[in-house]
Amino acid sequence: MGEEMATVAPESSSNLSASATSEGVSEASAGISSALQAFGIDSSTIVHVILVLVLAYVSTRIVAFLLTRFSERFHWLRLGIKMEIPLAKLAIYGFAVYHILGSIFQLSTNQLIALSGLVGAAVGFGLKDLVAEIVGGIVLVLDKPYQIGDKVRIDGHYGEVTDIGLRATRLVSPDDSLIVVSNQRMITQVLANATAGSLEMQVVIDLFIDSSSDASRAMKILRDAAVTSRYVYISSKRPVTIFLKDYPFYKRVRARVYVNDLRYEFKFESDVTKRAWDAFLEAGIEPPKAMVMDPVSTSPAA
Amino acid sequence: MLPFFEEEMKRIEESIEDYRGGIRRNVAIISDPYYGEADLMARAASVAGPDGLRIDGRRLRHDFGILERAPQRIVVVDEAHRLSLRKVGGFDLMDRFLRFVTSEERLFITTWNSFSWRYLEEVLGIGRHFPRQIILPRLDAGQIREMLLAGREEGELTFVEEEAPGGDSKVLDWRVSRRAVMGHNIDLPYPSVDPGVIRSRLKRNRKEKKSGEDAFFERLAQISDGNPGVAEHLWKEALNYPEVRSSLRDPPTIDLDFDESFVLGVVLSSGSLELDELSEVLGPMDLSAETMAALLEEKGLVSIDGGVVTLRAEALKSDIEHERRLRLVW
Repeated sequence: MGEEMATVAPESSSNLSASATSEGVSEASAGISSALQAFGIDSSTIVHVILVLVLAYVSTRIVAFLLTRFSERFHWLRLGIKMEIPLAKLAIYGFAVYHILGSIFQLSTNQLIALSGLVGAAVGFGLKDLVAEIVGGIVLVLDKPYQIGDKVRIDGHYGEVTDIGLRATRLVSPDDSLIVVSNQRMITQVLANATAGSLEMQVVIDLFIDSSSDASRAMKILRDAAVTSRYVYISSKRPVTIFLKDYPFYKRVRARVYVNDLRYEFKFESDVTKRAWDAFLEAGIEPPKAMVMDPVSTSPAA
Repeated sequence: MLPFFEEEMKRIEESIEDYRGGIRRNVAIISDPYYGEADLMARAASVAGPDGLRIDGRRLRHDFGILERAPQRIVVVDEAHRLSLRKVGGFDLMDRFLRFVTSEERLFITTWNSFSWRYLEEVLGIGRHFPRQIILPRLDAGQIREMLLAGREEGELTFVEEEAPGGDSKVLDWRVSRRAVMGHNIDLPYPSVDPGVIRSRLKRNRKEKKSGEDAFFERLAQISDGNPGVAEHLWKEALNYPEVRSSLRDPPTIDLDFDESFVLGVVLSSGSLELDELSEVLGPMDLSAETMAALLEEKGLVSIDGGVVTLRAEALKSDIEHERRLRLVW
């Protein structure tokens, strides 16, 4: 009996709580609908609002797609055109919100003040992060610390900026991972931009050779490999520079050289490294030897 | 001899006179392929007389000793850019030539492909070895008319109006983009505007206000980009004596991947290239010269004859625009 009572009691309490919840929901919905009616909003207005938002979303996708296509066609204007995508999105969403508030809701001054109060409360309680991200997006679009297509490093992540959305910025890392960073972080963290709107980008290529190898010859070969690469870009402002540094057990030959399109950064590095090493080996230039200690020669007895 | 590079020829003659008067200023004549600079060099060699030696870069590449052994004081070098190849170690002979040019007391008059010149200027700074640089200018429609109608009587040729090929092309067309949506591939149609058709229709509308002959030469100048060799090639295609068909074809549209574009850039920087030389450039990049050249030939951009890959004149303008867009030439 006691067991039965024990099993029944939770059921009855759950029924009680369910009926209490449904009453609460119906009260809340009645409250919301009366509040909406007070603003003159009926179901057709809500459908209209949803339709405008969907249209705005579809429009941003179409505009982004067309601008991307257009930018690929006019290669030299690629980054400039892509930079207009976030601006276009901002304009479309801005117009949609303006249309919803002005034409659909037809809000009076008093209603606008009441709405701002509601929005302020919502932001204060739960949406402050979202709003901070959107404000960050607007700041990014206007301040342009980076553009779509730039290679940036932030928070230890490195990649190409592929999209600047209203809420977050998307990067694609060299290993093809998608990194999403909120716009708020993008404006508050220290950000390194390797290209700053230019198509070309400096690439540093290090090769290490054995100390006994001919360093001058290695420098000449690395320079030749860099300037003859299919990905190279050279001008008086973008020169090729070769450096040599001596370490205790090896030498480092370094090339600072520009790739003609930052999308080819890693292909460029591989191309120069491969052809330089082919020529190094032909010229008898060797990689550093592994330093293996000889136990006999280093022992105190020896 | 082309009648409109007289100013440039005068500067070459001045250099030879200055040299004979004790002032040495080496000359570089720089032009795109097909400009006909060989005619200028022939004239320079004749001005130099017995004191001059004329030799081309390809021959020097195989036997540089000719230059060292020759007793002549004025050296005329055609296509000097052929002394370098775009590969590791490919500038050694050019370095040797430049050292020779600087150390010798002889006068050097040289021609250079303009794309090679700009590349070598960035890589080797060749400009400082040639203080007198002459860039052959592009010709306008009047000069092209003068060149092509030289020796013909007025009214000898009839310019026949014809519809340009591809006149029924659409300005606005629909294309399809395949997109992955929720795991399914969906073909999304989107409108595509063809700027080439718009340009061609605008040109056709403008052309109607001019005489057939004027319109023909203006269009010829525009399609050839003022290049006399290309204009002459297109003229031969249009001429069916005594008629000249006005239907000049637009330069072909270029659709190449990056590697094909690079190979086209290598050929453009030389004008023509032996397949062996192309293999030397492409081999270390793991690209096959034969395959790449065949692909370019199939697309109507080069011709292969006797193991030599040569740019097709009618595609030159498109080639240059394409290569500049990808920043493969400067």
